[in-house]
Amino acid sequence: MEFVLSEEQIDLRDAVIRFARQEIDHDLPSYDKEGSFPFESWRKCADMQIMALPFAEEYGGCGSDFLTTVVVLQALGYSCRDAGLVHAIATQILCGLQIHLFGTPEQKQRFLPALCRGEKIFAQAITEPGAGSDAIGAMRTRAEQTEDGYVLNGSKMFISNGPIADVVIVFALTDPESSRLSGISCFMVEKETAGFERCRSIEKMGLCTLQNGELVFDDCHVPKATLLGREGQGAIIFNESMEWERSLLPAAHLGTLERVLETSIAYAKKRSAFGQPIGKYQAVANKIVDMKVAFELGRLILYKAATLKTQGKRAAMEASIAKLFISEGLKQSCLDAVQVHGGYGFTKEYEIERDLRDSVAATIYSGTSEMQQAIISRLMGL
Amino acid sequence: MRTIDNIRQFITSEICGGHCEPITDTDLLIDQGIIDSMGIIVLLGFLEEKFAVRIEGDELLPENFATLAAISTLVDKKNGMNAEG
Repeated sequence: MEFVLSEEQIDLRDAVIRFARQEIDHDLPSYDKEGSFPFESWRKCADMQIMALPFAEEYGGCGSDFLTTVVVLQALGYSCRDAGLVHAIATQILCGLQIHLFGTPEQKQRFLPALCRGEKIFAQAITEPGAGSDAIGAMRTRAEQTEDGYVLNGSKMFISNGPIADVVIVFALTDPESSRLSGISCFMVEKETAGFERCRSIEKMGLCTLQNGELVFDDCHVPKATLLGREGQGAIIFNESMEWERSLLPAAHLGTLERVLETSIAYAKKRSAFGQPIGKYQAVANKIVDMKVAFELGRLILYKAATLKTQGKRAAMEASIAKLFISEGLKQSCLDAVQVHGGYGFTKEYEIERDLRDSVAATIYSGTSEMQQAIISRLMGL
Repeated sequence: MRTIDNIRQFITSEICGGHCEPITDTDLLIDQGIIDSMGIIVLLGFLEEKFAVRIEGDELLPENFATLAAISTLVDKKNGMNAEG
């Protein structure tokens, strides 16, 4: 397996870095403080075709392979300081992949072009108020079959993009009596649907521009045509989508880690104490060395997972390792970066404190670090 | 070893950890809780590596993994063999 990027991938990565530095110019401290979503920057990313990358050209996509998509998200995580916006874009791509893989030709035609253009915002609704890590096992949202479709009842919690979503991929129980593996189905619910309510965004410690909220379904009637995949296929779709998600989000996190590393190196060279740059002191240098190790090793496992997915192979183990290793590496690197920057690192002005707040989410969203360890252990047959 | 026996051996030793009753060809693997949502990830990895097949989205249906016979039929069909192969 070779991890050398093609010229085309390098050009695309560099173009995205230039784009983000020049074009994504919303006043992030204000947006972060107010918890607002940067719609204008979202539109610019859509115009740059970032959310269209892995989809077929016939649906308005770029036809890029998955490794290229991962490289671009890494570049965006590196060059765009708004981790909430990057997370929102990753969620959009993930929803598109589910539609691309499991949707009917009509569903793809109807939803993917608008998704690629960023005209409609997509969300995926699995987590519930009482069902987090055990989202499938403890799910309570029901979808009862009627003559012409289904009636959804229940609520979903912490849904990324949920409060601003035009279309939500909702996971619900269609057969509560059977095993969860065959009793859950997926539905694509549009915001105008009667009985569907998007609640306000929840305030969080980090990723403040990402809109997370509760979605409520109260006798929400949806036609059969909204079923994504076959009835009972929901848990399998969930499993499949997690492999993609656990490569997309770590790609963005790895980009942030690279930026934090570079920022720390620059500061350690510039800042002096006791007559020499602080980077000359092992106590400081070792923290930055650990960041470098996390970045280099994280990139290897991430590119391995993305390459396997590009080849159409399974990457459950690799994706979980990438998610665990990179998110924990990012959190520790941000903590260390604050320490390296001393008093300045603790201020809002230096922005590392925001990276630190954002990094905590990386170890929780898309399965906590503890869940990744449980998955890896199960995949090893333990 | 027949496909179905290979799969039986894997589920018994790797998914059940050797702690389950002998599995018949028609035991309901999902309904009886022998294979759960994590178990199917483990099983898919095994099937695709051991039998050099790629199980696509429209084949990832619970009924294709409901029994040993169903899984074996799916794998053999993908390899262009009949279920007895």
